[in-house]
Formats: sequence, structure tokens, C-alpha cells
Amino acid sequence: RYDAIVIGGGHNGLVTAAYLARAGRRTLVLEKRPLVGGAAVTEEVFPGFKFSVFSYVVSLLRPEIIRELDLPKHGLQILPLESTVTPLDNGDYLAGWADPDETREELRRHSPKDADAMAIFGQLMHHMAMAVKPILGMIPPDPTSLSPRDLAGMLKLGKHFHGLGPEKFHALHKLMTMSSADYLDEWFTFDALKATKSASGIIGTFLGPRSPGTAYVLLHHYMGEIDGAFRAWGFQKGGTGGISESIASSARALGATIRTDAAVTQVIVKNGRATGVALSSGEEIPANLVISGLDPRLTFTRLIDPKALPEDLVEGIRRFKFRGSSGKVNLALSGLPDLTCLPGKGPHLRGAISISPSMEYIERAYDDAKYGEFSRHPYMDVVIPSMIDPGMAPPGKHVMSIFVQYAPFNLNGGWTDAKREAFGDAVVGTLARYAPNLPSLILHRQVLTPDDMERITGLSEGNIFQGELALQQLFFLRPVPHWAKYRTPIEGYWQCGAGTHPGGGIMGASGRLAALEILRAAR
Amino acid sequence: MTAKPFDVIVIGGGANGLVACCRLAKAGRRVLLLEKTEALGGQGSLVEFAAGFRVAPLGLDPGWLPSKIAAGLGLTGLETVATDTSLSVAIEPGAFLTLSRDPKRAAEAIGAHSKSDAAKWGSFTTQLRNLSGFLEVLYQAPAPDVDIRSAGEILPLLNLGRKFRALGKQDMIEFLRTLPLSACELVDDWFECAPLKAAVAAGGIQDFQQGPRSGGTGFVLLHHLVGTEAGAVRGRVPWRSGPDAFTEAALSAAKRFGVTVRTAAPVAKILVHDDAVTGVVLESGEQIAASAVLSTADPATTFLDWVDPVWLDPEFVHAVSNIRHRGCTAFVLYALEALPEFPGLSSKEALSGIVSLTPDLVALERAADAAKYGAVSERPHVELSVPTLLWPALAPDRRHIAVARVQYAPFRLKDGATWDATRLQALAESVTSAIEAVAPGFRSRVLHRAAWSPRDLQERFGLREGASSQGELGLDQIMFMRPVAGWGRHATPVAGLYLGGAGTHPGPGILGGAGWLAAERLLGRA
Repeated sequence: RYDAIVIGGGHNGLVTAAYLARAGRRTLVLEKRPLVGGAAVTEEVFPGFKFSVFSYVVSLLRPEIIRELDLPKHGLQILPLESTVTPLDNGDYLAGWADPDETREELRRHSPKDADAMAIFGQLMHHMAMAVKPILGMIPPDPTSLSPRDLAGMLKLGKHFHGLGPEKFHALHKLMTMSSADYLDEWFTFDALKATKSASGIIGTFLGPRSPGTAYVLLHHYMGEIDGAFRAWGFQKGGTGGISESIASSARALGATIRTDAAVTQVIVKNGRATGVALSSGEEIPANLVISGLDPRLTFTRLIDPKALPEDLVEGIRRFKFRGSSGKVNLALSGLPDLTCLPGKGPHLRGAISISPSMEYIERAYDDAKYGEFSRHPYMDVVIPSMIDPGMAPPGKHVMSIFVQYAPFNLNGGWTDAKREAFGDAVVGTLARYAPNLPSLILHRQVLTPDDMERITGLSEGNIFQGELALQQLFFLRPVPHWAKYRTPIEGYWQCGAGTHPGGGIMGASGRLAALEILRAAR
Repeated sequence: MTAKPFDVIVIGGGANGLVACCRLAKAGRRVLLLEKTEALGGQGSLVEFAAGFRVAPLGLDPGWLPSKIAAGLGLTGLETVATDTSLSVAIEPGAFLTLSRDPKRAAEAIGAHSKSDAAKWGSFTTQLRNLSGFLEVLYQAPAPDVDIRSAGEILPLLNLGRKFRALGKQDMIEFLRTLPLSACELVDDWFECAPLKAAVAAGGIQDFQQGPRSGGTGFVLLHHLVGTEAGAVRGRVPWRSGPDAFTEAALSAAKRFGVTVRTAAPVAKILVHDDAVTGVVLESGEQIAASAVLSTADPATTFLDWVDPVWLDPEFVHAVSNIRHRGCTAFVLYALEALPEFPGLSSKEALSGIVSLTPDLVALERAADAAKYGAVSERPHVELSVPTLLWPALAPDRRHIAVARVQYAPFRLKDGATWDATRLQALAESVTSAIEAVAPGFRSRVLHRAAWSPRDLQERFGLREGASSQGELGLDQIMFMRPVAGWGRHATPVAGLYLGGAGTHPGPGILGGAGWLAAERLLGRA
């Protein structure tokens, strides 16, 4: 008999399982797909061409997890993503290189004022990341509760904010409440720079860069660069799936069992207590604890009968916003794209190519999505992993990963094969404006809409964060008030997915905090 | 000191200025009030836009008068109208939904469109009341901040915490959740009826250059509901005796307390020496000495236009110049020979409230899109009301006035375009057509039409960028962040210079709210 069953072999589920096994619990992970990783998988989609199908870069993975689970020993190997190049509509480009001084000089070419501001901005973001770090690492206290533990948590929080001092606290308040556009306007003047930076403020959200609340997501993506293990974005060697594999391998070494092709249909609840799970095969597996790594909607309304839950919790889940807004296009290429702004092969192809020529470009991409269409000219984050990791493609050939925003889950008339291909055409067509030879290089094309992401990974509405990173869905409000501490109203049933604090990205923090909380409760 | 005839100079004769004067004079200070225009009352003052037709377009919603202030100044003769000044929304030509301030009657009207929405209306309006009720608590005290230096500053915080807990678990969460929420999400959480959602959500974009889908519009909606009765979803009940009732009452109180009032006295400069204020210079060149100045003009004008920067820390100046104003509301004023007919509108009384012409959220959002790119909405959001139904004296016998609030008309237009007559008339024309569509024959009743762009509001009322908010109500520009971080308590880096306008905590729409707190601070009582 197992002590604990973790539903879903995504990276958070695997992290939770590893920590429980590490504490000597007999732990079983059940994954419905043939491979572990959830949205962090590598698949050979086309013969010889390997893709990080969904999540494709990493920076947020918590250093303590890498350390405590000894992940490098289990195959974690991150290759740094060195640069970002933004092609401009005037044929020029804006580049950010690995070396900050080089980057500053490049920026000076466009705006000396911004180049100077960048240094101070970098410092501030560093301070902000440091200010948020302890919050990401804490179990959210319930501000409405008077229990000693919650009051202690609130006091700790109050001390933390007070300890920051007014200046940093006020700066943090601005970051939490402003739009990324307004926030960046206070610092920079060069439009393409603001557009490229603000892009990270909209990823996974259904808001435009001018909407208040997006500045925080900007920080969320800065976190890794400043506090992450690698202080930069990077690729896992062999693809993102390798990260999941390394956590899985660590979990196995610690004694956990992992079963794939094992889809859980429901959690078995007997007199208010979870006693095990039932698989689609009809098999039932008993356990003392059941932990769901799935998103809040699945955790509370599919795996169990919501009638067994308090009304306000069910209502909270109903109000929880997913609104998947991102798509992914994976290309198998016969050769390298040739950027009009930077012709030929060069270091820029080893980094990201950001299609974010102006603030208005991104805002208009949002306008399309707002009214239920995919962006005719979307924001794109383009990488060519085979440039850094030749093993991803046959010799001389390449794989290109294109993250696309916006592609609304609720498309007018719904997603169809025709709409999917039209979306793929819009992506390739827009990219071809900047790399005219791209269409002629395409051997195979995989287009993934939020609808596909939901179907394949199970992520509700295809939201890559298991729920929007909006202010009203963070910390003690994630996923719902009073149930933000990984616990559920059902005895022995817990949550550990990115739909809990602190949320999305390949961070693993939710999985780790959940495990720690489960172990604390057992004591 | 004794040589000076005045202890304090208060700049600006609007609600905040008048209240500040009264508070200071009542405490024995010798106070001089300087108002740049001929008339007192600021945004609430009446303007004759056509011969015999007077209106106070910015004063249609009188705002909230905290009882503490009314009592503290002994303001008398202030009665609100008895009639139900409701909110109506055009569903289509010939059909309106009218939301009475009485939740029961509103629910009946809603029931014709959605039974489930009607069933939720009572609890929805009760929740709005509870949440804006807690804002009222926050708005009658200095803004709390983390910047605690003494144990004495912790007590108000604890007291606030107690009052917060008094909301109860659910509303505590709803309060925290609603502030960053979009008005769209808020109404989507509750309702299905499109015109109902549009009517309610429009309160979240009032004078705010964001669409209803933008974060923070939930807060704006709540902010404009402080001082309302349960059941209201927009604005406060008007004064019985006229839009200028508060100004009259506050002015007579000021006279009673011995305040010296000077109108047509525009300030050109605030004099500072050794980091302390010494007086003001008028545009006439006249110098007036005083050891304290309380400005109810917006913070940007006060510091960027009037104070010599040599006395200011560049970071403070930078912060002040970053205050977002973004006036985006225009007004079209109509002098009418007779009351217009609105087929399908429940009663003519409904016209004394607000009639919103935007039937759904998408139309509201599309109107906002243009402003993002520095353009005027092609199909603007129009809210109409006929103040002469409440106050016939504003127009000649049997004549009427219609006021149209129009969004979005951004102060800053793209590519250096300006608010010239052509652009303004084009806007006025699209508004007139929009009204004609639901009120056939409206156009033929128009005797005279005037249109005010945000630029006109700037010139007429001294509102920077035409923003009546004196600084938009973004979550990063309220409470301890208003007007700028670290200076949320009405004092400024210049000794003796205080800010008490809508650009400071608690912000616009609260009669004398900021002026009172600033005066208390000046007196060392807050």
C-alpha cells in the first residue's frame, strides 16, 4: 500500500513525489501520457527532429530544488540562451547580448538615455526580485484567519515589507499594480526596447501590455534571470523533457514509483477522506494521501465530485481565470533562416529572436485576441535549439520553436483544423517579413493552439500557468481564498500544481512547498 | 510672522479648498483663499454655455460629503433630491433597462431580461455597498503606509485592521480581490444580461483611460460608489437646491469662520526660501506673504509650474512628472427647446439620472481601443442626463438642458494632432447622432450645442490634461502612492507647503476629503 499517490507527472508533481520519497514515504506518480513531464516534454515529432513541444526555455527552476534533489547528477544540464534580437521595421535591429556592457553599447546605438537608465533599472529589478523571493518561498497565510499560524505568517509578511523600507516597498507596489507599458515608460524611451521587455509581461495572460497588472508578470520572468540557478534563460540539453526526466530519475532513486499510461479518472473519497484513486482501466489503487498536480479546475471539479466541497470554494474555482492565450509552432527546417536585419549565420541565431517591433504592435495583437480572433501579427519568441544542441535535428538541419501570443482558447466559432492552419500561416507569414527565406526551409510544421494544449496535456483552456498570473489570482488567492495552502477540504487530498502559489513556469516551487506542507501536517 | 496679515494661503476655491479654509479658520488661523476664476466651486461651478442656459457638467454627480466634514464645519441647508435618480441603459432603439436606486424595483426591471440576474441583484449591490463602505473608512483617515517610525503610527494601522475584519471573512477577500479585478470580470462573475453588464461596468472606466477589460477598473467602480446608498451602481444623489448647493453652504461657512476670499486671483509662483514656503506671487505680480500654503491645485501644476526646482530633489520632480493624468472625457452640452422623447424609457424622471447609450461590453471596450493609440473613439461611450428636470431654473421657462459625458476623447492625440474645432465638432456630431438614434427628433429640439474637449476642461477649470481626477485612479496612484510614493499624507518636501486637492488621498469625488485631511495635517492633528 502506498503512503502517497501523486496525480500527474508534470514537473511539479514529480518534485512533490521526490520530496515525499526523500522523507521515506512510499510514493506513486500516475501520468496519463506515455511520458512524464506534462507541458515540459521532449518529443521526436518528426523523424530525426526533436522538439521541446510546449515549454521550451527555463530560468525559474528553484536552486534549492536542483541542490536538494541533486538534479545535475540525474541529467540536468542547462545550455545558456545567449542573446535576444528584435528585428525593427526600419531594417535595423535591437540586440541584447550575454555581456551586459555589450548590450549597453548596442542600446546606446538607439538611445543613449535608455542605455544609462538600463543600469539603474537592472539594479531595481534585482532588488525587487530579492524582495519577492521570500514571498515565493513561503506558505501563504490567510489574512482572514485568526489562527496563530496565520497571524504569525501575516506578521512575518508585515515585518518583511516594513524591513524593505518605504522606497523598495513603494517600488514593489508599483510593479504589482502598474501596466508593463506605463512601468517601462517611466524608464525608457526606445519603443522596440519597451515592446521587447513588455512582451514578458503578457506571456500566459489575457491582458495587453497597457493593462494594469502586467508589470508583475514582467518581474515573474525576471526572477529567474536574477535569482534562478543559471541567472539567465537556457535550454535543457536534449530538450525541456530532460528537466522532467532528471526530476523523475531523482524521485526514482529516492524510492518513488512512476507509472505512465495511467490516467486517473477520479479520486476515491470515503466519508470525507481520500482513500485512493481509480484509473481509466478500472483499476483502483489505495493510498493514505492523494495529491493532485493537475490544475484547480480538474483538481476540484473533475477528479472529485464538487458536491462534496463547500459552495464558496466551488464558486471560487468557477471564477478562477484560465483563458489560455498562447500558441506554439514547431518547425523542422532544412537550413537556417536568414534575417534581413542580420544576414547570414551569426551568434544571434544562438539566442532568441523576439518579434516585438513596437508597443503598438503588441497592443494590436492583443486587440485581435480580445475580440476572439488569433493575432494576425502576433508577438513571437523564436529560438533555434539545434544551434546550441545539434542533437535536436539531423546533421545540417534545424528545429525552430516559436512561442506565439495571442491565440485565444475561446476563438470565435471555435478551433478547427482549418483555423489551426490559418493560425500557423499567420505565424510563418509574419515571421517571413523578417526572415524571407523561412517558408522555403520548412520541412514539417506542428501548430499547437490552446485547444490542442488542453487536449494533449490536460491544462484547462490551455493556460500554460495552470491559471492566469493576475494579481487577484496570486499568493493567498491562488487558486482560491482559504485553500491556498495546498490543502483541500477533503482529508488526505492535496494540491501541488502551478495553480497554487507561487505559480507557473518551470519553477517547481509549488511542488516543493506542497510536499513540505504535507510533511509538516503529518508531524 | 505677526507682520503678515495671513497665516495660511489656500490655493483653489473648489470643494477641497473651501473645506480646507473652513477647517483652518475654525482652528484660529488667518486664512486667505485664492481662486483663479471669477466663481468659486471649481468643478461644481455653473457655466452659462448658451444665453440663459447654465450647467455644471462636472458636478452632475455631487460627490460624497463625509458626515464628519459636514458636522465639523456646521454645513447647513444641504438636502438631496427625493426623486430616484436612476441609471438607464439603451438596449436598442425603443428599449431601455432602468435601474432604480431601490434594489427591489431594479430587480423587477432586470427580471424582464434575466431571472437569475434579477435574483442576484440584491446581493450584488449589497456587496458593492460593503466594499465601497470600507473605502469610506480608508478615505476619512490619512493613508496608511509601511513607513512606520513610531509605535504611535502602528495604532491607526491596528485600528484599520479591526475595521477590515469587521467586513467579515468573505467581504475581506472580495475587497482584496476586487481592487485589481477588471470591471468586465466583476460583472461576468455575476450576470448574463449584456446591457446590465455594460451599464454597471461603465462605472469602472469613468474618467479612466482604460477599457472595462483592463485590470484595476474594479477599483475605479468601487471608488465612485463611496457615499452611495445600497442599491446604487453609479454616483451620488444630487442636491435639492442646485448643483452649486455645496459651494454655497461651504462659502457661507468660510465667511462665518472669517476666511478672506479673493476670486480672479490666479497664482503664478509659490515662494520658497531655505526649503520653507514664504508666500505666493499672483499673475498680477502681487506678492502675498504667508508661512504656510495649502494648494488644492493638482500636484504636477503645484510643483512643476509654481515651485522653483532648485528647492526640489530631482527624484521628487521625476516622480511628480510621472503622475498620469490622461483626461479622456469630453462633454457635449445641448440647449433644448423642449424635453426630448426617448421611446421605451420608463419615465421622464429617468432622464434626470444617467442614460447610458452603450448596450454591451464589447462596444465599451472598442470605444476604449482608440484612446490607446491616441485617437478619439469612432463610436464613443455616451452617458446622457437632463439636469433641468431636477433644477428647472438652470434654463429658461420650459426649456431644457442635456449633458452628454463622452469617452474616450484622449487629451493627448497621436502624431501631434490637436483638439481643433473640426475634431471637436466631428465628435459632437457623432454624439448627436448616437442620441438621435434612441431619441428620434432630438436633433430638431437643439437650440444650441457646445462641446468641451479635455483641452477645454484644462483651460476652463484648470484641470491638467483635462483630468477631473487630478491624477488617474490607477492602483499605483492611490492611498500612500497618491500623489507620489512616500508623500501620501499631504505634507511635501517644502516645509509649510501642503497639498490638499483631488490629486492627493483620498482622491476625486469626495467633497473636501483631501482638503480636510491636508488641513488637519497642517494643524498637526493628523
